[in-house]
Formats: sequence, C-alpha cells, structure tokens
Amino acid sequence: MTFQLDLSGADLLLLLPEIFLTLWLCLLLSLDFSLKRMTHQQLAYLSIAGLAVTGLILLGFDQTGTTGALFKNMFVLDRLGIFFKLIIVGATALILFISIDYVQDFKVFRGEYYVMVVMSAIGMMFMASSNDLLSVFVTLEFSTFGFYVLVAYLRDDLRSSEAGLKFFILGVFAAGLLAYGISLVYGETGTLIFSEMTNTPGSYGLAIGYILIFAALGFKIGAVPFHAWIPDTYQGAPTPVTAFLSIAPKAAALAILIRMFYVSLASFKPMWALLFVVASIFSMTYGNIVAIAQKNIKRLLAYSGIAQIGNIMIGLAAGTKQGSDAIMFFLLTYLFANLGAFAVIIAVSHVVKSDEIEDYNGLNRRSPFLAASMLLFLLSLAGVPPLAGFIGKIYLFIAAIKEELYTLLIVGLINIVISMYYYLIVVKKMYINEPTDSSPILASMPIKVAVYVGIAGTVLLGVYPGPFIDWAVSASLMFSNIAGPTAAASLLPGG
Amino acid sequence: MGEYSLLIILFAPFLGAIALMFVPREEALLVRMTAAISAGISLLASFYIFLAYDTAKGGFQFVQRYVWSEELGIAFYLGVDGIGGPLVFASAILLFAGIFVSWHIKDRTKEFYMFLLILAAATIGVFMSLDLFFLYFFYEMSVLPMYLLLGLWGSHTKGYLGMTDPEGRKLRDSVGFIFNFGSNSKEYAAMKLVLFLSAGAVVALMGILLIYHLSGLHTFDIVVLREQAHFSDTVATLIWFLIFFGFASIAPIWPLHSWSPVGHAAAPAATSMLHAGVLMKLGHFSIIRVAFEILPDATREWMWVAAVLCVFSIVYGGLVSYFAKDTKYVIGYSSSSHMGYIFLGMAALSYISLSGAVIYMFAHALATSMLFAMAGWVYDQTHSRDIPSLGGLVEKMPFIAGAFIVACMASIGMPGTINFIAEVMIIVGSWEAYPFQVVVAVLGIVLTLAYMFKMMRGLFYGRLDPEYAHSADARHWVDRMPLLLLIVCSITLGIFPGHFYEVVRSTVEPMVDRINQVAPLITQNTQGLLP
Repeated sequence: MTFQLDLSGADLLLLLPEIFLTLWLCLLLSLDFSLKRMTHQQLAYLSIAGLAVTGLILLGFDQTGTTGALFKNMFVLDRLGIFFKLIIVGATALILFISIDYVQDFKVFRGEYYVMVVMSAIGMMFMASSNDLLSVFVTLEFSTFGFYVLVAYLRDDLRSSEAGLKFFILGVFAAGLLAYGISLVYGETGTLIFSEMTNTPGSYGLAIGYILIFAALGFKIGAVPFHAWIPDTYQGAPTPVTAFLSIAPKAAALAILIRMFYVSLASFKPMWALLFVVASIFSMTYGNIVAIAQKNIKRLLAYSGIAQIGNIMIGLAAGTKQGSDAIMFFLLTYLFANLGAFAVIIAVSHVVKSDEIEDYNGLNRRSPFLAASMLLFLLSLAGVPPLAGFIGKIYLFIAAIKEELYTLLIVGLINIVISMYYYLIVVKKMYINEPTDSSPILASMPIKVAVYVGIAGTVLLGVYPGPFIDWAVSASLMFSNIAGPTAAASLLPGG
Repeated sequence: MGEYSLLIILFAPFLGAIALMFVPREEALLVRMTAAISAGISLLASFYIFLAYDTAKGGFQFVQRYVWSEELGIAFYLGVDGIGGPLVFASAILLFAGIFVSWHIKDRTKEFYMFLLILAAATIGVFMSLDLFFLYFFYEMSVLPMYLLLGLWGSHTKGYLGMTDPEGRKLRDSVGFIFNFGSNSKEYAAMKLVLFLSAGAVVALMGILLIYHLSGLHTFDIVVLREQAHFSDTVATLIWFLIFFGFASIAPIWPLHSWSPVGHAAAPAATSMLHAGVLMKLGHFSIIRVAFEILPDATREWMWVAAVLCVFSIVYGGLVSYFAKDTKYVIGYSSSSHMGYIFLGMAALSYISLSGAVIYMFAHALATSMLFAMAGWVYDQTHSRDIPSLGGLVEKMPFIAGAFIVACMASIGMPGTINFIAEVMIIVGSWEAYPFQVVVAVLGIVLTLAYMFKMMRGLFYGRLDPEYAHSADARHWVDRMPLLLLIVCSITLGIFPGHFYEVVRSTVEPMVDRINQVAPLITQNTQGLLP
C-alpha cells in the first residue's frame, strides 16, 4: 500500500480545526516560555480563545455542510465527526475554565498543563475523524499520551502517582490488545479502512480481532469488565483532569465504536449487538450498585460514569440509526451534567480541601447556588424530568424498544431506581444535614461560568430538546440505511 | 384567552418558582406573596375551565398542541376532559390553600415555596397531558420535590404507630423491619417515598414504552392511540398489569401502600395536603387515562383485580387508623383506606360508580387536606401529634376545633358535603357488580366514623394538659382563609353538585360505553346510547 500525500489547499481546509489548534498550541508554548509576565490565567483564557475559534470553524463546517475524506480515507470529516469534535472542544473549554482555580494550588506549575489538555483534545479530535484501524491506533495513543502526564500531575500526592501508574499500565495493556486486534483483522481482511471491510466473510480471526479491539476501546470508555482503573484514577487525578477523563475520551472512543461497528461490521449486527447488551447490563448494574457504597464524591461519580456508559451502550446494542442518535444526544446531556457536577466539586474542594461526601453536609446553607446547581446536575444524571438526562435516557429506551431488547430495557429501568438512591444520598447531605462548619463557600468567576453553562445545557436540553435531537439525527444520516435486524449474517464461519 | 387557560394554569406556578429564584431571601413577605399570586392566577384560570367546560360537547377541551420532537413522536399536547378538569381545579385549590397554610414557615422559605410550586405544577401537568410522554414526564417530576419537602421541612415520627413489641422495641414498618432501617426519621420516609414511587413509575414506563412500540404507531399521542391502537389479548393483559400496578403504587393500593402513611407523617402540612389531596389521585387518574382509554378490553377483563384489592385497602387502612395514636397516621391511613372506595368505583365500571369515583377524588382532596392542615396547626402549636397526650384543645382553639369537626364530617360523608354525593354514587353504582365489596365499603364508613370521632375527642375534648395551655387559635385571616376556602368549596359543591356532575358525566358515560362494548357487533347499538 502506498500513500500519495499530494494534498491540495481544499483538502487542507478539512483539517483546518486541527491545524489551527496545533499552531495555537505552539503559540501558547512559546508565549509561556518567552513572556515572563504572562500569568497562568491569561494563558488559560488564551487557550480557551483558541478552542472557541476551533469551535466556530467546526460550527461553520456544520452549517455549510463541508465534508470529505483525506489520506486515502484514513481521515474523514463528516457531520458525525463534526458533532463529536464539537463535544470534545466544548468539554475541553469547560475543563480549562474549571482548571483556573484548581491549578493555583499546584506547587510546581508551568503553562504546560494547559498545553497538555489542548494536546489531548487535538488527539481526540483526530480520533473522532479516524476512519481506519491504523489511524484509530495512532490517534488513540496520541490522545492518551497527554492524559498519562495529566493524571499524575500532582507529583507529591501518592494517590495521584498511583492513579497515573494504574492508568499508564492499563492504558498500555489496552494499546497492546488494540494492536493485536488490528493485526488479526488486517490479516483476515487485507484492509484497514472501515468502509472497505463491509463485505468480508466471517472467520474466527476476525471475531477475535474485533473482540480485542472492543476490549481496548472498552478500557477507554470504562465499560465493565474493563473498568478496573476508573475509580482509583478518578479519585487520584487532579479533579479537572478527572472531569476531562470522564467525558472527552469517552466521546472520542464512542465515535470510533460507532463508526467501526456500524460501518465495517454492519452485516454482523446480531452478534455484536449481543456483546453490547451483555456489556451494558453489567456496566449499569455494577456501576450503580457499587456507587451506593462510596464515601468519596469523585469515586461516586466514577461509578456513576460506569453506569452511564452502560446506558450509552443501550444505543449501541440497538445498533440502529436511532441508537446512534440517542447516544449522541445522551453524550450532550452527560457533558453538561457531569462537567457541571465536577465544577461544583472543584469549588467545594477549593475551600474544604477534601472530596469526601461528608463535606457536602449542609452545602445548601453554605452556598445555596452551588447546592442548587449540584442538585440539578445530580438529578439530571439520575434521569429526573424536566432535566436533560431524562430525555437522554428515554431516547435510548425508545431506540432499544424498537429493536425489542426487552431484557436490556428492564435492567435499565430497574437501574434508574437504584441510581436514584445514591444521587439522593448526596442531595440529602447537601440539603437536609446541617453543616459542621457553616462558613460560606464562594465560587470564583471561571467556576461560575462552567456551572452556568452546565445549568443552561441541562435545563435547555431537558425542556426544549427538539433542535438538538434534530442535530443528532442529521449528523448521522449516513447510517440511515444501516442493516436491520433481519440481516443475520454470522461473524463465525458456518455459524 | 380561553383557549390558553391550560397553559396559564400550568405555567403560572412554574413561572412563580422561577421568579422566586430572583427574590432576595430576606424579603420573606415578598417571597410568600409571589408564591400566592402565581397560585392565585392558576386557581382563577382553573375555576374558569371548570365552569366553562362544555358538558354538551364532552371530550377533550381547551386543547393545545405543539410538536416537541417529530423524531420521537412526542407532542406537548394539553387538554382536559370531565375527569382531568375537576382534578386540575382541585390541585389549584390545594396549592393556593397550601401556600397560606405554610405561611409561618421560617426556615428557607424561598426554597420551600419553589418546591411546593413545582410539585403542584407537575401534578397539574399530569391531569392535563394528552401525550403519554408528558404524562410520565410530569408524573416523575412530581416525585422529586416531595423528597426535599419531606426531608427539609418535615418532622420525625415518634415510633411507628406509637406501638412497641413485647421486648419494648419500637415497631417498624415492614420494609424497615426486614432491612433493619431506622424508620422513624423523616429522611427515611422521604427516601422510601421516592424509591417506591420511582419503582412504580418505571413499571408504568415499561408499559408506556410497550404501548408506544407494540401499537406499531410510534407515537405517544393518547388520542391517536385511543382510536388506533390494537393489541393482542396477551400483550394487552401484560401492558394493563404494568400500567395498573405501576400507577396504583402512588394511589396507593394495598399492598403497595406502605410508603404513604410514613410519608404523610413526616411531611409538613402543605405537602401532606398536596400529597393526600392530589398526588395520590395521580395514580387513579393515570390508570383511567392510560388503561381505560387505550386498553378498554383488558380493563373490562381485569378490573376485578382492583375490586379484590380495594377490600384490603378499605379494611386494613380503616383498622390501622382506628388503632393509630398519631394524628397524621390516622389521617394518612384513612386516606389509604378511602382510596379503596375510588378503586371500587372504578372497578364496577358503571356510569354512576365511575362518576362517583371521579367526584370522590375531588371530594377527598378537599376533606383530607383540611384535616392535614389542621393536624399541622395543632402540631405547630403543641409540638405533639400523640392523640392520648393531647386533649381539651377546644378551649384554646375553638375555630380550629369547629373546622376540624366539619372536615371530619366531610371525610365521613355527611349529607351536605360533596363527599356524601360521591360515596352514595360509588355504593349505589357498584352494588350490581360487587355486592360484597359494597357491604365492606359501608362497614368502612362506620369505621371511618369511629376513628374520626375518636381522634376528634382525643384532640379537642377531655382534660387539657397544662403543657399545652399556651396553644393559640387561628385568628389571623391568613390562617383562617385556606380552611374556609376548602370548607366553602366542599359544602357549595355538596349542595349544588349539578354542573360538576354534568362535567364528569359527559366524559364518563362514553368511556364506560366504550369499555363495556364487548365486540364490534354491538357498536351500532351503543352508539345510539351516546349523548
């Protein structure tokens, strides 16, 4: 296979967001080292400005319908990619907002924190566009590289180092699985590009290869049974990094999962749908039940994140266009609620210097604003109307019932009740319990921005989801002819 | 303006809650006035739809429809029929009265009124939703404010029923007993309520999703589903049971009732009023709206289940009320017991019994909320709900005592109150179908008489404990107005039930006809009977 890298200007235009952000990154680095007077806040706002421009370019692409493929289909810019890139860029910008306060407490701090965050974002933007297995591998490792550093950023903190080590070892292990899976798939099909694999006959090698790739991506999204690193890493990592981990890599990995399973494996749908049903049931149930026992709010959100990934996989189990639409909409709702919750956690921990759930006792008396916003975010995560999470869950359930996945649906519904319990425990601490220390907690301006964005998204997507649903629907038009449940080909020979 | 009245009724409390966010917390009077004004607007508009409902035309009126999501088949579709209309009116009355009953709440007043307004608006939303999605949306939305209202402003209970086992330990309720929870705290009551109701809600949601998918229509529109949805017998039975037990858990039917009295006991007065008054009726109403409208055949076939269970509700609730020593438990269990009458009226499926059931929902809302309001007043004054230790309060609070007697009379179903009409209609209408249950229901009324008199005597007559000598009567108009409003509504409608009955009848009769038409063969005959 030879690559012809004769790119025209018009081709480069498709890469504009990534190119721009990369150049901006270089600018940030050089400014940080050359201008001594530059405060880290200014650097943060500069990074946010760069992300805002990137977001605007992406929105422009979305409006004008700019699409195309580059590098022999390795990189594809379609509306699906744009959707996920916008989620990633938006999440990164919010992460930078909530980082500004947090990094003040770092003993050793240089501007490379922001650079690392933006670099990971670039990696994930490429992930959202990767259309063959090679680019999946490269972009995945590229984006994870930044996270390895970020997770272990608190050098003096044992937990952070432990988190970094765990994340690194399991991440490298996942990379190994991914590489092995890719080699098996390549051996069976002779191609790496998703869209060229659609008509390959099933074989054991292909099945094992894809299961390995699924496992590697399962590590990224934190689905049971690949979740082991999640709680410790979430707890140990600096909180903004935890927030970043909890949404952006998941979105990017889901983009790959959707592309891979919907395009290259469309004809084997009944088989992989079963895989997702099982993973979804275990993720939801395990995540929700273990979350009940948590004493640390970051661990609680880690387990709740495992459960939410279980919810998201309902859409993959449905395996229809509506399933992927529901996933995309759910990710939007999850973005606002989860990042908002982490913003509140940062604001609280900035004052009380700890992340135990006990510290939320009487938060309503200490800061009615933070308590009310945390209430909204938790209830959205629990799926209570009229908040965004409710619509997201109903959307997934509707996608599932149209495919008649009754078992999955029943488990999902029972899990709503279970999850209600532990979210309400936090609500109880915030509202009903009396504070041990009644000094007020004030949120700084950047945190407030993130919280307000979170509230606006959580409420708007809940009461007026129409335009956002339409957006998700139109972003995945390419799946409108995806194989229905009747196309029962077997991934295994003679099966 | 007329056609937008439903929007006004629904959104006035919501906007009130939003407006409260911007009212400074120190301005307590402004906070209360904002809440009262938004509830007042809602009340006036709901009174208007109650009067202006066209009984000759029947069906859904004041309809508003906005497409919400084409992709999912959801429309924001509002409308009331002769069942929803009166219940919307009842919710608005209780919200307005509840705001004045909780006028003296000092702790976090702003949040209290916000949650109360959201709770009431959500219940109102259920009563006017013509789209299954929004019915569920508002239903689920009404549960969460209850958690906070109970948890924040509620009160702990002094032991379950005030009884101890032979070894001197406090008796807990069944769930708490098995899992060894402390069941006397308001947090426990709040959490239990939310988990029970959420569990019921997801069961109902399963039914709703099955209706959505298996009807093949992929819409949540109740009007379309009513006309076009057809299910095989097995599927219809399955869905019917999901819908029935899902929604009956909030009604609450025996044996799904245990969250309710605990919740009542822990709740502050205004919350108990809304809870017993309208929240519980969400169950009956949703069963009528979903099961009766969309699954008429399964309803005809399986509604006897409700007739069987209602016997337990009536007897069990009545007996516990008789032996309970805590005022709120007495009223709470009497509510559970009275919900059985509504189920009986619904199960009999005759014109008169179903109309009686609907009127009973309204009547019970007024009577029980009065009782809760006054139990709350007595508790505020004496800080006790323990009937044996109270007594002789009539000297200290003659107005409350007088109103309490009226409320008890209404609860028993004395002629002159709307409850009397409702009870008689249920008993007369159900006699043909379920004579045994009717006998039980009549005995239940005797039981009601017994425990209401017992509570009345225990609270207001006998010797006054000097500890409670400082208790005060409701003297200010703010305190008297809500009670008088409820009493006036109950008695006015009891003496002039004509319009109310016509409103209910215009909806109930076609509905009963539709359920009772056994096969399409006799459609032509029954059509002649339609008004």
